[in-house]
Amino acid sequence: MPSFLESLRGAVGDTLFYWAVSPAIKILVLLFLMVLPLITYLVLIERKVLGFMQARVGPNRVGPWGLLQPIADVMKLLVKEDTLPRQAVKWAFVLGPCLVVAPAFIIFSVIPVGPPAGEFGNLAWYVTDVNTGLLLIIALATIGVYGLIIGGWASNSKFSLMGGLRSAAQMISYEVPQGLALVGPLMLAGTLSLVGIVEAQKTAHWWYIVPQIVAFFIYLVAGVAETNRNPFDLPEAESELVAGFHTEYSGMRFALFFLGEYANMIVISAVATTLFLGGWLRPFPNAAALGFLDVIPGPIWFFVKMFVFLFAYIWFRGTFPRYRFDQLMDLGWKWMIPLALANIFVTALVKLWLSGGFQ
Amino acid sequence: MTAPFAQSFDDGLSDSLLHREEEMELNFGPQHPATHGVLRLKLKVDGERIIDCYPIIGYLHRGTEKLFELHPFFQNVPHTDRMDYVAAATNNLAYVGAVEKLVGLVVPPRARYIRTILAELQRISSHLLWLATHAIDIGAMTPFFYCFRERELILDLFEQYCGARLTLNCMRPGGLPHDLPVGWDEKCRAFVDDFPSKVDEYEGLLTENRIWKKRTVGVGVLDPETAIDYGVTGPMLRGSGVQWDLRKALPYEAYGEVEFEVPIGKNGDTYDRYLVRMEEMRQANCIVAQCLEMLSPGPIMAKRPRVMKAGKDAEVYHGIEGPKGEIGFYIVGDGTPNPYRCHVRPPSFINLQSLPELTKGQLIADLVALIGTTDIVLGEVDR
Amino acid sequence: MSALKRFADKIMLLDLFAGLGITFKNMLKKKVTVQYPEERWEPAHRFRGMFRLDEDRCIKCTICAKDCPIDIIYIDWHQEVNPETNKKEKVLDRFDIDVQRCMFCGLCEEGCPTEPKSIWLTTKTYELASYDRWSNLYVDMDELQEWKVRPAYTDEEIA
Repeated sequence: MPSFLESLRGAVGDTLFYWAVSPAIKILVLLFLMVLPLITYLVLIERKVLGFMQARVGPNRVGPWGLLQPIADVMKLLVKEDTLPRQAVKWAFVLGPCLVVAPAFIIFSVIPVGPPAGEFGNLAWYVTDVNTGLLLIIALATIGVYGLIIGGWASNSKFSLMGGLRSAAQMISYEVPQGLALVGPLMLAGTLSLVGIVEAQKTAHWWYIVPQIVAFFIYLVAGVAETNRNPFDLPEAESELVAGFHTEYSGMRFALFFLGEYANMIVISAVATTLFLGGWLRPFPNAAALGFLDVIPGPIWFFVKMFVFLFAYIWFRGTFPRYRFDQLMDLGWKWMIPLALANIFVTALVKLWLSGGFQ
Repeated sequence: MTAPFAQSFDDGLSDSLLHREEEMELNFGPQHPATHGVLRLKLKVDGERIIDCYPIIGYLHRGTEKLFELHPFFQNVPHTDRMDYVAAATNNLAYVGAVEKLVGLVVPPRARYIRTILAELQRISSHLLWLATHAIDIGAMTPFFYCFRERELILDLFEQYCGARLTLNCMRPGGLPHDLPVGWDEKCRAFVDDFPSKVDEYEGLLTENRIWKKRTVGVGVLDPETAIDYGVTGPMLRGSGVQWDLRKALPYEAYGEVEFEVPIGKNGDTYDRYLVRMEEMRQANCIVAQCLEMLSPGPIMAKRPRVMKAGKDAEVYHGIEGPKGEIGFYIVGDGTPNPYRCHVRPPSFINLQSLPELTKGQLIADLVALIGTTDIVLGEVDR
Repeated sequence: MSALKRFADKIMLLDLFAGLGITFKNMLKKKVTVQYPEERWEPAHRFRGMFRLDEDRCIKCTICAKDCPIDIIYIDWHQEVNPETNKKEKVLDRFDIDVQRCMFCGLCEEGCPTEPKSIWLTTKTYELASYDRWSNLYVDMDELQEWKVRPAYTDEEIA
């Protein structure tokens, strides 16, 4: 622990330090060194990768390889006029974007980027390890929907209203398969704590993607739908609803919606990494033959895996057409939910059989 | 819309709050990313389902038909470029064909082959633009860029031939303004050889894709009788399974001498029209290849009077198979160098008539696909 | 059998993976973008761009003005006796083109009877953007002769 932290601990006392100061520092570091740069640069990465897939080069004017583009974008959005339509319901119009972005940021507090204190560095690589972490994530992710609905309704525009309604229906129906898909790894690990789940994957000798491939697939698809990304980007389908729920938004309020969407993308990827790809663990965490991989520290593994997901998101966007509203509901209720339930059932049976429950 | 929920709160807790059924009127366009220009649709929607659709046109009206009356025949060619501005060559061809019939000019063979090549390249480029916008309307972003990549090559060919990329002005009554530049046919052949693999690429992205199929199969079914009743032509008509192509039915230019197939659809839905257009691109490519083989040196302009005049009370209609359907010009002469009246039969305008029929009972998401599948260009609809 | 295969293909999402494969392949291909201000696109020889006028070649026949479909070429001339040859010659007073309305159809060039042409558009100049339409896009005789970009194309070039 750096010496200034030691002296700070001496000054405020142990209790205050561990309960208030240390989490606050972690949150600030997380927010300003990880989440915000990650989101802004994710936008750049997306534009670059999409550009490369589409036979063009993407942004390359602001700074070398367009590296300063996100900064320019943020500056532009900050100084842009923040219009408030006259017919809009003002309090709701302002509340909408906040409701989208806040829960997405809070979720980062329980995501274990790296191992607990002592394994790699003196501090744990997460803000907190709640023993109901998974439940917290599901609960918080739900709140984001309200932001979209409220934003779409408060704009008092027909296209926005339709976008809001679409997102409500879509996110509610995709939360069910998403939640059910998470039950699979949960049953295998036997804990709701995210750190616990990763450690259970270490003792299980494999990542949960192997036994839970169906759940992984459902989670991936539901996650894309949950974050309103192509091919499920109906709420903001620009060719149908112009921009859906954020048609009337501009300036920083629009930026908040934007931040929320990308933060959600990162959250979904991070949770999928934690639950299915072994978080900070290397491949085959207990195989001694692969011991040389331990050279790469855990957090790096985590980010590499997360970027594989984020790349997949961008890749989907570059490839697929958009589903129609009713077909999306069909897919959710008629395929994903039964499949997720079947997966839970099979997982339970296999677990019972392995533990000798049938004898 | 005044806030629907706020209103119902004003009513107190009446029935209308608990159960309210109401049609919403939605203005779709003229400034909407999916209306391909300035088409405005007045929609009556129930939720997302379209009850009624009423197209309002005229936002791009420039009085082209009146403009034709003010100029001698040869000066009107640039105006035809600006009607269907993504398929200028076929517009030129239809117009100069009509004038040639009216004045009585015989086009030399080399000019006929070159015209056929230009018209078919234009068909490919128009279909590429259609595919690009149709795909991006349905949410597939990438085909847009791939199509524009190939369209650029065609525009380069046009630029090398006549000096313009979009508004070509590349034909004259009686023949052509220029001969082909040296080396043009090799460049064109290189494109023709390469193009089928590119069509495979687009088809790989879309044809078998389950999302694309879900969005297009069974959407906007137009049965053959209705299609004929509406006067729909081109790929819209052939998608419904009617074998009608002016290139085969009334061959003009060099179409009587080349071999090609006219693809037709079975179900008349958006997917069939997509397949028809994709196959038409391949066939057009094949026609270009055949015409390149048939090119032989010779004159490119017919013997024509210095001032072309139509006979008194001469009238003529000449229609050709444009990329979007039958593009025809009806010209009446009065003995002066100017046409007395010139009427255009624009395929986009007539195909657009079928849109209300197609959209009835569909969802808003389908409406976007259906505007794409009618393949309209508002410059031509409004003229 | 084919039905079974189709079903297997559907379960294994082969149609979706085919599309993903195409976009991935294209990601590694060479890009087609032209980086405009640094790389400039070279127009074809016949490209119809900005006008150029050669006053000496011009015989003041005004066919270009008559051929223009939108009448944007304004020509005035008078006759005066050339002191060297003692012959009456036409002298241009005014040769203006309202380029902001021009649609670059090239009919003026096509109608020009002199050989080589006295007015031509094949200057390969296409960067005509301007902040002020009146001062920059209404060009007079002197400005028309200042576009020192290209002479009229030669027969070899267009052949």
